[in-house]
Amino acid sequence: MKALTANRLIDGEVVFWRAGQWIEQFPQAQFFADDDAAAEAALETGKAQPTIVVDAYLIDVVEAPGGYAPVSYRERLRALGPTNEPTHGKQAAGGAGVEAILAATGAARSTGRVDLIRRK
Amino acid sequence: MYRYDAIDREFLADRADEFRGQVARRLAGELTEDQFKPLRLMNGLYLQLHAYMLRVAVPYGSMDSRQLRRMAHIARTWDKGYGHFTTRQNLQFHWIKLGDAPDILDALADVDLHAIQTSGNCIRNVTADPYAGATAEEIDDPRIWSEVIRQWSTLHPEFSFLPRKFKFAVTASAKDRTAARVHDIGLVLRRARDGALGFEVIVGGGQGRTPYVGPTIREHLPVGALLGYLQAILRVYNRHGRRDNIYKARIKILVAALGAEEFARQVEEEWAKIDTAAADLPDTELARIRGAFAPLNFETLPARSETFEAAKRASPALARFARNNVKPHKKPGYAIVEISLKAPGATPGDASAEQMEVIADLAERFGLDDIRVTHEQNLVLPHVKLDDLPVVHAALAAAELATPNINLISDIIACPGLDYCALANARAIPIAQDIARRFEDADRAEMIGELKIKISGCINACGHHHVGNIGILGVDKKGEEFYQISLGGSGQEDATLAKILGPAMPADQVPEAVDALVETYLAARQGEERFLDTFRRLGMAPFKEAVYADVH
Repeated sequence: MKALTANRLIDGEVVFWRAGQWIEQFPQAQFFADDDAAAEAALETGKAQPTIVVDAYLIDVVEAPGGYAPVSYRERLRALGPTNEPTHGKQAAGGAGVEAILAATGAARSTGRVDLIRRK
Repeated sequence: MYRYDAIDREFLADRADEFRGQVARRLAGELTEDQFKPLRLMNGLYLQLHAYMLRVAVPYGSMDSRQLRRMAHIARTWDKGYGHFTTRQNLQFHWIKLGDAPDILDALADVDLHAIQTSGNCIRNVTADPYAGATAEEIDDPRIWSEVIRQWSTLHPEFSFLPRKFKFAVTASAKDRTAARVHDIGLVLRRARDGALGFEVIVGGGQGRTPYVGPTIREHLPVGALLGYLQAILRVYNRHGRRDNIYKARIKILVAALGAEEFARQVEEEWAKIDTAAADLPDTELARIRGAFAPLNFETLPARSETFEAAKRASPALARFARNNVKPHKKPGYAIVEISLKAPGATPGDASAEQMEVIADLAERFGLDDIRVTHEQNLVLPHVKLDDLPVVHAALAAAELATPNINLISDIIACPGLDYCALANARAIPIAQDIARRFEDADRAEMIGELKIKISGCINACGHHHVGNIGILGVDKKGEEFYQISLGGSGQEDATLAKILGPAMPADQVPEAVDALVETYLAARQGEERFLDTFRRLGMAPFKEAVYADVH
């Protein structure tokens, strides 16, 4: 699976693509099948919005227990916020989607070690 | 401290205004991101993982209470209520919105602060001994020379587009608190046998991908010749630095490629061509700058304070704080107070707006309105009367700022790492937190003694891992965070680069490994040896054995 992400120009906020809109929460993002041409089309649309977002790009997403999670560690942190300040960033909202990213294991580029992102 | 004049203030106001216009044009689509990025970077504004980051220059790590209060105000108004002090003695705000940045630059300019030359391939904010003007060790005040370099290098047209960034450190003490030998240029003030003041000039040190301890290219440069000689160094670098390869573009690569002797020869040759009368600072201007750092009005006090001695007897906490965080001052009856930003579990270098205000108040009431940032991410009140130490300590303790761990194992440098930084491969902060918690027992930490742990989240080494007694480098191993430990580094006057201990390990094994290293040291140490001394005597083998013995 894939998702489209960027940083919003005006405030740097991490945003995700959903049906023609940029939204702030990863769990509500639009997930594209790997062979879905709509992902590339969304990317082109995003790149054509330089006054709204900076640096739009596609990320790999995996199915995790209870939802979806970005594959790469860096993207999980972007989707959550910094681990040293659990009340800062998107993780502060909590909820099942955030829990799913926190609990994600077994991603393609990790060893499957549990509790990869610890909370204080 | 140095005060801006009307011309400086007008310039800063204009510069902030110019940036306001640039932001407006970017938001309106008149500037592309590629056009705008270098403009925002020239004003210290980076785009990081979660938001923009604004790096504010704190010239040679020196601030007054008015400036620190303004930082607190910015943290509270436009950030999430805190700031992060860095190894460049600067302050970073990690949650800045682009739309707010012009207002923030105005707020900074209003107290003679800015974010100019905190990014880009120019001469960056000069760092200096945080004990300047307070320690009896120094032979001159390094802030004077740092200010000279600051004025000379600010918007210097010839040196605004160097092959790569360029960092100075200036110290005047035998004990180096600036890591001068791992800077592009380290300047160490010394007196010649005849008493003449000069600089030992160290060039081509650095960390990052290719670390070097810089060689000394001139043992004694008369202070009056400083700017002409620096101009010669920068010209040789500007001409021959590797602009073709970003990884080889720092001056350290050039110095290493040519050899220190040949590099020095080329500098001398270039220097001979320079009209030094025009390049060097006139005596009148030097006197004006020196005047800004004239000795303060210290009171005449007895060397021993009965108030302080009695308070120490009554309070073990104060006594411990005094042992670790209070350093001797050049004037009888005064002390240098280090404020640790490394409470167990805290993020190294972070201070909340409230903490900044407490420190600003203490500086104003008890510290001759002077605050310093150290390159080890702590703060300093350089001039506190011994009589006032009990009150200052109590106020610090109430704000969770009295952690008595300066130079101890939990006084860890850590870069922001993957929690914030777009360049990082792994997190650094949680590793520091885990180690600090493991060594939370203050008695044990004091028993272990001086031990400097430095952690970087990537090869760029902002966390100074190459010069850590224990250095920890975060790496990306197949998408997962791993940590490579190295031993035996020092950023002080006896600078050495740390050597790699062995294969990288997952995060949860790092505190245990540090514990094994410490136990090995404690079992083997002789007399007053620090960890570093024991390591130097024994070498890597017993430490490696202790950490990897169980790994097969």
